[in-house]
Amino acid sequence: MAWSRKSAMFASLAVALYLMGLVLRNQQLVTVAVVLLSFLTWAAFRTAHADVSSSGRRIDDTAVTSGVALQNLVALRKLSSARVFEDGEVDVSLRIQNRSNLSKVLEVRDRVPEVMRIKKGANYVLMELGPQRETEIAYTIEAPLRGFYTIGPVCIRIQDTFGLFHNEREIHLYDDFLVFPKMEDIKDALIKSRVPKIFTGAVNIRNPGDGSNFYNLRDYVEGDSIKKVNWNATARTGGTMMVNEYERDAVSDIILIIDSRSVSETGPVSRNSLVYSTRAAASLAQYFLSRRDSVGLVIYSDEIVSVDRDTGKKQLYVLLTKLAGAMAKGNTPLRVVTNRIMPHINRGSPIILLSPLEDDPTIIDAVRDFRARNFDVTVLSPSSLEFEFDARRLDRTGYELLKTERDIIISEIRGLGAFVMDWEPDMLLETALSGARGF
Amino acid sequence: MADESKSTKSTTSHLYDGKTVRSSAPSRKKAAGRMKGNSDIPKDAIPEVHVPSVIESFFGGPIVSKTKFLPPDKMVTSLQMGAAMVLVILSAVTFMVTPVSGTAWFWLTNYLGLPFIGGIIHLALIAIGFIGGMYGIFQRDQRAILISYVILIIVTLRFAGSKVEFGLDLLPDNEIAQKLLLIIYALSLVMYIELTSGIIRFSMLDTSIRTGEVYVMNVTKITSRYHRALAITPTIAGFVALITLLINFIVPFIVGIFNAESAERLRESVELTSVYGVALGTAVVFLIIAGAFGANVPKRIAQMREK
Repeated sequence: MAWSRKSAMFASLAVALYLMGLVLRNQQLVTVAVVLLSFLTWAAFRTAHADVSSSGRRIDDTAVTSGVALQNLVALRKLSSARVFEDGEVDVSLRIQNRSNLSKVLEVRDRVPEVMRIKKGANYVLMELGPQRETEIAYTIEAPLRGFYTIGPVCIRIQDTFGLFHNEREIHLYDDFLVFPKMEDIKDALIKSRVPKIFTGAVNIRNPGDGSNFYNLRDYVEGDSIKKVNWNATARTGGTMMVNEYERDAVSDIILIIDSRSVSETGPVSRNSLVYSTRAAASLAQYFLSRRDSVGLVIYSDEIVSVDRDTGKKQLYVLLTKLAGAMAKGNTPLRVVTNRIMPHINRGSPIILLSPLEDDPTIIDAVRDFRARNFDVTVLSPSSLEFEFDARRLDRTGYELLKTERDIIISEIRGLGAFVMDWEPDMLLETALSGARGF
Repeated sequence: MADESKSTKSTTSHLYDGKTVRSSAPSRKKAAGRMKGNSDIPKDAIPEVHVPSVIESFFGGPIVSKTKFLPPDKMVTSLQMGAAMVLVILSAVTFMVTPVSGTAWFWLTNYLGLPFIGGIIHLALIAIGFIGGMYGIFQRDQRAILISYVILIIVTLRFAGSKVEFGLDLLPDNEIAQKLLLIIYALSLVMYIELTSGIIRFSMLDTSIRTGEVYVMNVTKITSRYHRALAITPTIAGFVALITLLINFIVPFIVGIFNAESAERLRESVELTSVYGVALGTAVVFLIIAGAFGANVPKRIAQMREK
């Protein structure tokens, strides 16, 4: 049984008045004190409790902590879905059963994660539950941010009518659910593009190279294979040797690298580099997998978490689950990541790096390594400076200084032949991608 | 090509899937980049923090919470009316049962040779307690309510004699009637405190309901329980108080069963009719209650009712 502030005030007032009454020989004060004490005693008597001292039981015994009145209450919870996307909704239905023969006034609070918004209904209910009755509390929560979440426990409180004493119990009922990052439809933007989609996997990329589809004719140069000579064309041109050129097939492996270091969470909770990166990665993964490409994922924070390349819907859910669980921590340099993964990915595979490009002196070297091995590198860089500046956490001078530093890094990476997009907060992913590829 | 990628996948997946590499020490480049000539903290970077006052710190939080309530609903209005009525009774009874003699202001003004000023101060205090209480009740201002509590208690702080004294001479001399009047006074003071705190509690609850923070099922049943408790609890408290105040009748009666002479002596005892008799009664009554708690009677009753 817990005391409220009101009951503590009543008790101290009663004791003070009683003592003063005795000292001043004032019956009025003593009478007021007696009435106050009677009030308190009656309320305590009604809020039947089981103290450790009186029952002699251990503290982990639920009967001791919650009191008799809460023992016969049972809770059952049901969620409409265990997986939702950001901004998705989960319907929660909580059934409370009163298995005793007394009706009770209960305060029930189903604990939901702090970031969740109650969209419909309420998770905090005050009710009178009749004997051998049950009731259902239904509410809808909106999940604005990706992650693994747990609903529960169910907190139940019973108190006397004057709010002097209360008993509380936590019913350890937990339900987990997963919030995937939101995905943006980028399909149209890329299909409509007239420029070669060199990062879309197993499609022709309209560049000459080793492949099976005819691309064009050109003059023979020393070193060309005789097999490539187009004899008909050679005959038509009057003896000038012509060779066939073929389109280079794009590789089918797409590697997405997410920077999930502590620095990537700079900015407001819902608007930071990591949030944007995970959303972009989810959108890209969905797009590439729908094109039957295989997509691999590397998330680096204080450790490197990787998902091997694979295709299909199952792979999408594997990737989304990893993205949902990406936490900003640690400071692993990109070079460590590249050294780790480079031996295991096909040379020439498109690599898409999603990083704020901050606080890592090895970024340039890492990109240089990729380019030196002929990897097609695209960098999408959500600018944490913009997030911080928008949130007024950065003054103008600091912003300009850091912006200059960032521009220098971006220029250096561009100089290495990588496509880089300085992704501003209000820019759509498809626009950012188009910008990165120079469309 | 497809075969190649398939074979690559099957041979490399175990090499890095799920493997971890620990990070190195964080770079200081960014920290160096952020250094400015003026190292003052920007004003907008400092969050607004409520620094508790000394009194708030002492009580572990604000004594009076600054809650904005929505207009009162039916329940709150009825509580306001009830509290106002109780306050009227309380002020009247306070005026009747509390003489100015024995108070600090009476002593001071008497010492200065202006005893009537003491009476004026006494009346003014009751008036302030009444007006402050009324304002607090209808404006739902917790500060005004708290001030009225304090003033209405301060008015009764006086050095009294062993016998009960009243502020008005026309009140009954009968001992039981006097004690009943004292109980009415004490009950009205406690009920005033309870009803005013009920106004704030139900206003908060009503505001929470209307803002969607809390959902209440069977509101009428919950409020009817409160109304019922408002009738039952003061009756029980009054009964307990009556027993303690009438100990000078109860003790001689019990002793009289065994020894009539001792009972008669006890009846004539000044100590038993004075405040010390009341103290003895309180000790007896609360010893019985403590015994009930010690024997875990509340829990046993609750278990019996649950079954």
